[in-house]
Amino acid sequence: MKSKESFLKNKLTWAIIAELLILLVAGILRPEFFSLEINPTTGMLYGSLVDIINRSAEITIIAMGMTLVIALGGTDISVGALVAVAGAFALKFLRWDVTLYPTPGDYTIYPFIIVIAVPLIICTLMGLFNGLLIGKLKLQPIIATLILMVAGRGIAQIATNGKQFTTGYTPYRFIGQGSFLGLPFPIIITIVVCAAMMIFVRKTAFGTFVESVGVNPSASRVTGLKSSRIIIIVYTLTGLLSGIAGLIYSSRIASCDSNNAGVNYEMDAILAVVLGGTSMTGGKFSMTGTIIGSLIIRTITTLVYYFGITSESIMAFKAAIILVVIVIQSEPVRKKLATMQARKQKVGELRG
Amino acid sequence: MSSVGKKKSNRFVNFITNPKYLMVLATIGIFLVIYAFGAAMYGDKGFTKLRTFMLLFVDNAYIGISAVGMTMVLITGGIDLSVAAVASLTGMFIAYGTTVLNIDPIVCMVFSIIVGIGLGLGMGALVTYLKIPPFVATLTGMFLARGVCSLISRDSISINNELIDKLAGWKVNFMTWSAEKAQWVKIKPVAYVNLNVVLFIVMILVGAYILQKTRLGRNIYAVGGNEQSARLMGLPVNKTKMFVYGFNGFCSALAGIAYALYVKSGWNLALQGGELDVISSAVIGGVLLSGGVGYMVGTSFGVLLKAIIPSLITFNGTLSSWWGKIITGLLVLIFVVLQQVVMNGQFFKKKAKAVPQKE
Amino acid sequence: MEHDVILTMRGIEIQFPGVKALDGVDFTLRRGEVHALLGENGAGKSTLIKCLTGVNKMDAGKIELEGKEIRPTNPQNAMELGISTVFQEINLCDNLSVAENIFIGRQPMKRGQIDWKEINKRSAELLERFHVHIDVTRPLSQYSTAIQQMVSIARAVDVDAKVLILDEPTSSLDNDEVKRLFDVMRALKAQGIAIIFITHFLDQVFEMSDRMTVLRNGHLIGVYNAGEITKLELVSNMIGKDLDEIFDLKRATQQENAETMLEAEHIGVPGKVEDISFNQKKGELLGFAGLLGSGRTETAEMIFGVTKMQNGDLKIAGVPVKIGEPMDAINHKIAFCPEDRKRDGIIGDLTIRENIALALQARRGMMKPMSRKEQDELADKYIKMLSIATPDAEKKIGELSGGNQQKVILARWMATEPDLLILDEPTRGIDVGAKAEIQRLMLQMCEEGMSIIFISSELDEIIRCSNRIIVMRDGKKAGELNGENCTQADIMRIIAGEKDGENA
Repeated sequence: MKSKESFLKNKLTWAIIAELLILLVAGILRPEFFSLEINPTTGMLYGSLVDIINRSAEITIIAMGMTLVIALGGTDISVGALVAVAGAFALKFLRWDVTLYPTPGDYTIYPFIIVIAVPLIICTLMGLFNGLLIGKLKLQPIIATLILMVAGRGIAQIATNGKQFTTGYTPYRFIGQGSFLGLPFPIIITIVVCAAMMIFVRKTAFGTFVESVGVNPSASRVTGLKSSRIIIIVYTLTGLLSGIAGLIYSSRIASCDSNNAGVNYEMDAILAVVLGGTSMTGGKFSMTGTIIGSLIIRTITTLVYYFGITSESIMAFKAAIILVVIVIQSEPVRKKLATMQARKQKVGELRG
Repeated sequence: MSSVGKKKSNRFVNFITNPKYLMVLATIGIFLVIYAFGAAMYGDKGFTKLRTFMLLFVDNAYIGISAVGMTMVLITGGIDLSVAAVASLTGMFIAYGTTVLNIDPIVCMVFSIIVGIGLGLGMGALVTYLKIPPFVATLTGMFLARGVCSLISRDSISINNELIDKLAGWKVNFMTWSAEKAQWVKIKPVAYVNLNVVLFIVMILVGAYILQKTRLGRNIYAVGGNEQSARLMGLPVNKTKMFVYGFNGFCSALAGIAYALYVKSGWNLALQGGELDVISSAVIGGVLLSGGVGYMVGTSFGVLLKAIIPSLITFNGTLSSWWGKIITGLLVLIFVVLQQVVMNGQFFKKKAKAVPQKE
Repeated sequence: MEHDVILTMRGIEIQFPGVKALDGVDFTLRRGEVHALLGENGAGKSTLIKCLTGVNKMDAGKIELEGKEIRPTNPQNAMELGISTVFQEINLCDNLSVAENIFIGRQPMKRGQIDWKEINKRSAELLERFHVHIDVTRPLSQYSTAIQQMVSIARAVDVDAKVLILDEPTSSLDNDEVKRLFDVMRALKAQGIAIIFITHFLDQVFEMSDRMTVLRNGHLIGVYNAGEITKLELVSNMIGKDLDEIFDLKRATQQENAETMLEAEHIGVPGKVEDISFNQKKGELLGFAGLLGSGRTETAEMIFGVTKMQNGDLKIAGVPVKIGEPMDAINHKIAFCPEDRKRDGIIGDLTIRENIALALQARRGMMKPMSRKEQDELADKYIKMLSIATPDAEKKIGELSGGNQQKVILARWMATEPDLLILDEPTRGIDVGAKAEIQRLMLQMCEEGMSIIFISSELDEIIRCSNRIIVMRDGKKAGELNGENCTQADIMRIIAGEKDGENA
């Protein structure tokens, strides 16, 4: 009896139910939504479901870090700008200067390792900057990360002199467009990142430390936890993850677009975390929930595309569905549902 | 006699050291410093002309109008990410309504304002009664407004309406007495106040009045200071929050009208990221994002301070426009660090550790 | 005599999920009396108050104010009816000015605008009555807790209250401030205001109240007139246990030749505490007495690295140590149960198990996680040992009563097997039964060789438990006493500055 009640009160349950319902609606309206095919020439798996997971890669990866950020009771709104920064610097090292190398082609000016590593390092450092402001200077997270959210795109534009570069370099394009073991490569990256994060968080004491600091920073310090170090690690990590997402994104479009890359990613990532059942006030978190949250967001988008609705108006549908989910998840509503459930049980017990 | 003087200076010291006002003074101070810097560097290019100064108002009035509502939301400890989307939706209503459907622009405006207030109240209800974090609730509102906007039209619609033209074109020029012509003439280069600037200034005054002179306004501060306490002190917390989000919805719609008058078109992607401009203006104006602290005077100077940077970059002529973003980021950094020092540092806590005196 | 009754509550019942918080409780209050409401934590005192102020809805029962039935819907409504409350935790907004905190929600208006001059003038006058002379235009956050407490009382009193509820108003006040509060209470009483007074300090109950109502487990136990009941009887009514069992504690025996555990030489943080020197032997229970703010807590926080020690030297077992943050102290086998349990102790959303394992895990470091099995064993062991009242270890600590939370925090530190345990007000705000258990536990641990620093505001428990007592005054060590043969009067004389003495 008890497990049933907590099952219904569990936010994760509601996230899964929501995702299944959305898929169900899709399946009823268009059964072919679930069809999967293997492309005989490339050996790659095709289908809407694969597409959903593939396209959710960037948000899922960022949301892994965002889960920890939110568990700490914070927010990081600079991730979208960092996505732009990563793309801009990667393209910078691929092309260096478009006036010297005017035609995009299958070449890179700097070694591939630099093309990959430098943007990631820059994003990690930017994450560290956020972490230092929040952990050491004790700034409010939303405002500390607002700084890079505003300034980040400016930095990205400076890197490319305000120009939009494109590239045809095959290894770089593989990151976002290639396939491995029959799956789109972004899915592989996502699986590796998620697995690494979950192992890091749950197989060490880090997860508990994050939750502890998120619930009560002062008590955590007295208990011997180094809150500021934990905060710095989490934001730095989120910076790195945003960088990875930025590389995937810019590889998908084979170019950098400092104005539009990663726009609203912070919103989507935060939504993914919240839909997944982690409370914005900090504390207990669920990375599995976050992955499902990210899938919900992408499923809605894909579904809307699938039914041929214009891309810009997706937002209205997103809003409607998100509204339903957050209302169901909201505390007053869940409490009411739980008491209704309890009452029903009581009636049942009386009858039985 | 000296005692009177002393008392006065004490009051002055008291005012300066009162952390309540310190952030606002800092904003005004930094604005003056940057203005002086601009005057020294580009005075010869006309930076000090009244026109340049007035254009700060004209070009940023819609941000200022929205910042009035945002300031109140931030003081309650909330945030509203939907402001730019709602403003953009308003612009679309007006453009589509007047130009495509041939509806009277006044009707369109009233309709937009009703929708703005409605959306604000809706988000307010999510925040207040369902306890959904403001960030998420208003994000949903933002998606909704942008989505609806795109459903109406995906293309930019330019407004073609006589009344709108008239409203947009209305201006009062600054005049000077010309002895030669023996009459009032426009100053050169022409400096003026238009309807948007009037709206901006009126809204700032209305906002300041509400915050300082009414119980409602003080409840807004109390809610942001400590919501739990406010409830136990018997203050109408829920109503206050509903008002703030509703009022902010009104401000967003009004900002949308101002923007429509400013660009004379409606576009679903207009003001993309504008919510950040509004929020950072408020922050630079000394509004504390954790709630409980903020003044309309500060916000209005925040808007001007944020506006003066692109203006300076334009005067410089060689710097790229994206430096504006970086400098704005730096300004926010300076301000939040300053706030941190003032609000949490020794200055704030220790200054007046008055122990009750024994008799 | 019915005419002087101002408030009656009859047959109050409140049902919480799983528990009956109040079961048929009656309560009457007379005009101009101070009526103490007594009971352990969870007895139903605060539920009764919340029912009276409209925070909790009652399931059955009737409230009458001046003969008319009322049903308060919220604190505001109760206030309008004439029932004002000062809650235990200060419920004011510290971003607003002192004056505004007193008048918010009912500001005097002039021509439709708030009359700030009037507000500032009237609040200054009001606070004068409490002998508090401060600049009322400054933000509340700039003043001490005691002043904030006075401000909240001033607010409650100024609304033309007929009934004033004071919920633990003295817990953050020092003796002098308590005295001033009592003067104010007497003055209010003389005006005919009825006061409901809730406190853990029995001395204060006996000093101030005319009548006492005792609750236990949601039931009414009895109503007594002052002078008709002794302290001992009152306590036994509150806890329903045999008293001898509770107060039969034996001080830990101190080995003469025990080795020195801790040596502090002239340690201090300028502006907070200065020039503190003492030493402590293994297995010794060292009491720290003194008023709130005298530097007791600050000394403890300095030893544990919560605040960084700036002057002096610290030696543990003869070896000089540097402690810059709590982790260093933990590595030197020091443990610290802080005073503010809610703020510095519990991690409310985590389970009992996680809370108990946390300090040990922190010492082991992030990369060496404790297995689930290890954590379960640890939690079960301490739940049993400390008789923590909980169905299982997976309950959130935030859902426990104060006493049980304190035991979990104690368990957290016992799990690290410390050599030196610092307990800052471990018995504050918890019920008498749990208090006795914690005291017994302390003494037992000392017998087993642990050194304990015990900070408390209650002199009798310090005297009862300590081997030696250090008395603090104004951030300095004012004296040192032998615990065996000192009296409350000895300590108070040192606190009052009449005597700087060592009788050890």
